[in-house]
Amino acid sequence: MISVKMSRRYDSRTTIFSPEGRLYQVEYAMEAIGNAGSAIGILSKDGVVLVGEKKVTSKLLQTSTSTEKMYKIDDHVACAVAGIMSDANILINTARVQAQRYTLSYQEPMPVEQLVQSLCDTKQGYTQFGGLRPFGVSFLFAGWDKNYGFQLYMSDPSGNYGGWKAAAVGANNQAAQSMLKQDYKDDISREEAVQLALKVLSKTMDSTSLTSEKLELAEVYLSSSGKVKYEVCTPDALSKMLVKYGVTQAPVEA
Amino acid sequence: MSIFEYNGSALVAMVGKNCFAIASDRRLGVQLQTIATDFQRIFKIHDKLFLGLSGLGSDAQTLYQRLVFRHKLYQLREERDMKPETFASLVSAILYEKRFGPYFCQPVIAGLGDDDKPFICTMDSIGAKELAKDFVVAGTASESLYGACESMFKPDMEHEELFETISQALLSSVDRDCLSGWGGHVYVVTPSEVTERILKGRMD
Repeated sequence: MISVKMSRRYDSRTTIFSPEGRLYQVEYAMEAIGNAGSAIGILSKDGVVLVGEKKVTSKLLQTSTSTEKMYKIDDHVACAVAGIMSDANILINTARVQAQRYTLSYQEPMPVEQLVQSLCDTKQGYTQFGGLRPFGVSFLFAGWDKNYGFQLYMSDPSGNYGGWKAAAVGANNQAAQSMLKQDYKDDISREEAVQLALKVLSKTMDSTSLTSEKLELAEVYLSSSGKVKYEVCTPDALSKMLVKYGVTQAPVEA
Repeated sequence: MSIFEYNGSALVAMVGKNCFAIASDRRLGVQLQTIATDFQRIFKIHDKLFLGLSGLGSDAQTLYQRLVFRHKLYQLREERDMKPETFASLVSAILYEKRFGPYFCQPVIAGLGDDDKPFICTMDSIGAKELAKDFVVAGTASESLYGACESMFKPDMEHEELFETISQALLSSVDRDCLSGWGGHVYVVTPSEVTERILKGRMD
């Protein structure tokens, strides 16, 4: 009880530690993400799969081709977001500019880890100086470069990042992560990864009926000509896949 | 000696019927010495937009790299390709930014805009746009090119005839210019395909 009351004194500024050595603003940012739509990423030997749960589904929403959870950063890197969308938009723009700046200097695509690191350095800045709050976004970066092939990275508001074989962010991410730990195999193919991602997401999502309107699926893979491709699945193809893998749950009859 | 004549270049773009062609020479020189005979002066921005840059080779390459930077960000944010008219305005703005220390380039922009309508334009090194309905020229051979195009051009040519016309105009003009030549590089763009051809002319 006492520690809760005392910790209130250390909440208000991002740039100070609590007596227990915690950064409360960063932790509160992660709380915000824990309430947001989940996203899962899985690394396979021939591609990376990203699946996201769309939280904003209303018939009144103007549908457009643009995505809510998945964004292309450069031709060879894409990301899925979980958290505050407006914060995410700023960071995505920053990442895009950073990738282009690298290409302008070195005339080659920015290595995926360097891009993630550069963005995380930006996020870290908001936890140490400036007096501004941290970004309330976690990212899953999926990309390919010629040094390390396909890669998947997860980053959080503290500016920490790690390379993963499978990762989950957003609501119920711990449940999703433990399910992924059980079912992931090192030599998983891209198709199996899609199946696994949809299965895990369907189990951890709160909603009763799973339709293609509530999901987004994107894949990063190499085309037959050897170029990196980032493709968002169309709603029709996604519906067919949900039926094929048996993860469509029929809506509950009233 | 003008800095624009340091490397030597020849560029021409022509409008046809629902298509356009853009052509350049292939020489890169350092004044009188020829350094390369395969120098690329025409760059693809996207499937329906090409940019040719005459003048100083270094500035042409750097300017192109900066424009790719801007176009890639535009594509990511707008989720579509840039229209040729918009791109021309962007090039003009970037050139004027360096008004008192300019890029020594004269760009030629050619693309298919809305409804695949051909669009060509050129501008000077500080961004003064010149739109034309028929053809635009640039480079050390520009005066010869003006003459050749004016006499050879006809409106509404189909893409095969357009290719022949632009190639003849280019080769005859660079032959009168010692700083450009060593063959030609021609792109003919229709709504459905892009044809790239290398011309062999007087190799000097």
